[in-house]
Amino acid sequence: MREKLEQYRAYLFLIPGLFFLLLFTYLPILWSTWLSFNRWNLLSPKPKFAGWENFIKLWHHDVFWLVMKNTFFFVTISIFPTMFLALVFAILIDERMKGRVYYIYSLFYPTLIPMAAAAMLWVYIYSPNLGILNLLLAKLGFPKLGWLGSSATSLWALILMTFWKNLGFFMLIYLAGLQNVDRELYEAAYIDGAGWWRRHIQITFPLVGPTSLFVLVTAIILTFRVFDQIHLMTEGGPGNSSNVIVYYIYENGFKFFDWGQATSLTTILVCILLTLTLIIFGIFGKRITYTAD
Amino acid sequence: MRRKAIFIIPLVFIFAFATAAPAKTKLKFFYPVGVAGPLVKVINGMVEKFEKENPDIDIEPVYAGNYNQTMQKVQTAVLGGNPPDIAVVEISELFSLLQMDSLIPLDEYIQQEGGQTFLDDYYKGFLGNAYGRDGKIYGFPFQRSTPILYWNKDMFQAAGDKLKAAGLDPDRPPKNWNELEEYAKILTIQEGNQTKQYGLIIPGGWNDWIFEAFSRQNGSQLLKEDGLTVTFDTPENLQALQLWVKLMQDLKVCPVLRPWNITPDDFIGGVTAMMYYSTGGMAKIRKTAKFNWGAAFQPAGKQYGTPVGGGDFHIFKGIPKENQDAAWKFAKFMTTPEMAAHWSIESGYVAVNKKSYDLQNMKEFLQQFPQMTVARNQLEYAYPKMMAVNYQLIRNAMTTNLDGALEGKKSPEQALADAQKLMEQAIKGQ
Repeated sequence: MREKLEQYRAYLFLIPGLFFLLLFTYLPILWSTWLSFNRWNLLSPKPKFAGWENFIKLWHHDVFWLVMKNTFFFVTISIFPTMFLALVFAILIDERMKGRVYYIYSLFYPTLIPMAAAAMLWVYIYSPNLGILNLLLAKLGFPKLGWLGSSATSLWALILMTFWKNLGFFMLIYLAGLQNVDRELYEAAYIDGAGWWRRHIQITFPLVGPTSLFVLVTAIILTFRVFDQIHLMTEGGPGNSSNVIVYYIYENGFKFFDWGQATSLTTILVCILLTLTLIIFGIFGKRITYTAD
Repeated sequence: MRRKAIFIIPLVFIFAFATAAPAKTKLKFFYPVGVAGPLVKVINGMVEKFEKENPDIDIEPVYAGNYNQTMQKVQTAVLGGNPPDIAVVEISELFSLLQMDSLIPLDEYIQQEGGQTFLDDYYKGFLGNAYGRDGKIYGFPFQRSTPILYWNKDMFQAAGDKLKAAGLDPDRPPKNWNELEEYAKILTIQEGNQTKQYGLIIPGGWNDWIFEAFSRQNGSQLLKEDGLTVTFDTPENLQALQLWVKLMQDLKVCPVLRPWNITPDDFIGGVTAMMYYSTGGMAKIRKTAKFNWGAAFQPAGKQYGTPVGGGDFHIFKGIPKENQDAAWKFAKFMTTPEMAAHWSIESGYVAVNKKSYDLQNMKEFLQQFPQMTVARNQLEYAYPKMMAVNYQLIRNAMTTNLDGALEGKKSPEQALADAQKLMEQAIKGQ
């Protein structure tokens, strides 16, 4: 009897949290999913049920496929190098190298800069004639690049900037994760004659598994939702070469005022993220080692 | 009883003060800056002056970003049921704002000011984008421009011998498309794989606007005045686009898609000998360029021609009548001969009020900087800018396809056909 009561009490405590979650997360998801099956834009300002129309339109639209390609390219190219280097830097810093505080600061400060300011900074770095990157290239004898102004390089330029911005954040998470690894393991391995690489490949990498899982999921969600720097640096251009899904949603919703189209894209994004998260937890969730034994 | 009094006395005071102080009309004013240069300060200064002269009106100027961002902010505010009182948006957006039923006509206000005689003080070329399909006037000209050709006189002199050898005059800018190409070729300096100096920059970002000018120069247009008939894919426009592709891809005398906002810096920094840019960016060049420079009509194709550009004032529905009245007062103030002249001098935009050019300080200023008269004189060859519902979508279709052709990823023919199709879809709302 008493246990039952305890259970009810637990639900009672959950109510406030659930209420807001419902109001600001689940209801909007349901509502926008419903809207994605409606025609609703500047020319037909009342939502009208239209079946799969929005999705069919997307299917036949080149820009949609380009945007999807850009998005997956952005995500895959940016997260793996970020994760790997974040871990390597975290290990280096963890090993009490000299002046580690300065390294932590210099790697972490981009995370502290507001994205808007960072984006403007990089607009200058990428400036074709006065920017430091092109001046450097010219000094080294390479031709200057268009960076943000060229469809061949615009996405790469954004990836590089995002890498710089996110590295410190993930490094800090790894650094925290490393504190949970038992130091005795390294000592034992050292005595057994394992070298630096061997120690880390066989001890560190597996033991930061839970952290990596967290970093992976966070990084995927963060990079899928990349928006600010694109809005500020390229507006998706030139020729949609740096347009990604969230920016495309924004364009459809607040530039072209086609809310039906915008919500159908949102539905697609929700489905992709949900599937990816389920897959990742399905594959790695059970296999991850939490302790050394 | 005494306790109640404690509550009531302050209430009485508050009430008394509230009614005694004259109620101020508060206006929210959204505006964009569409060119390079510190124009926010200028606008805020003009707002302060207005508030000093009209102590009963309080204006909150909101710098809303570039033209795209400002339109987005305005539309979102309108849809949210919280429109600004007055806003400046890009002139092609009028039909979208009318589609949302968000503006009031200004005819009554203009009648009160004297009707046609009042309007006659303003350049007719700038009123072409102010009317809705119902014939009523919904916009009032403010920051208005045309694109013009800027040229670096020193660079022309430096290449004087070469220009003369080619039969070109180093003391004047090109007058037609053929000359444009010839001048640009000679003025480009290539060293190894580096371009030290470009002959010309046709910037990206607003290349749809400059392209509309080229289309007009070749006797065509991009969209008919009805806002419904798309004429993007015409032989004349193809010729214009082929010229651009030639300049950028074959001759490489013009960089591809140089961002709009940094192009004036390139001109000032001596990166290019000529550039197409809005006259609205001229103040920055006047204040920072350390060489002799000139401004000229855009070179002619079959003829001179250009669309006008810039932004108009609009007053919104769904706000109290006294706010609308105050907003009109503000719009009128900003375009008096004195204020329009001040704005023109500080920015480079054309003064929309003809009487500005009779003012002594304006005359003296123009004597010193005759470049400032070019855009105004070019009005003789100016057409209204294209206008359509869903303009943001249409503009996106134009720039995306122009960008594709200029980067060499699409043939000019394909780009025009694709843009034509997308624009037609956008207009039908498909």
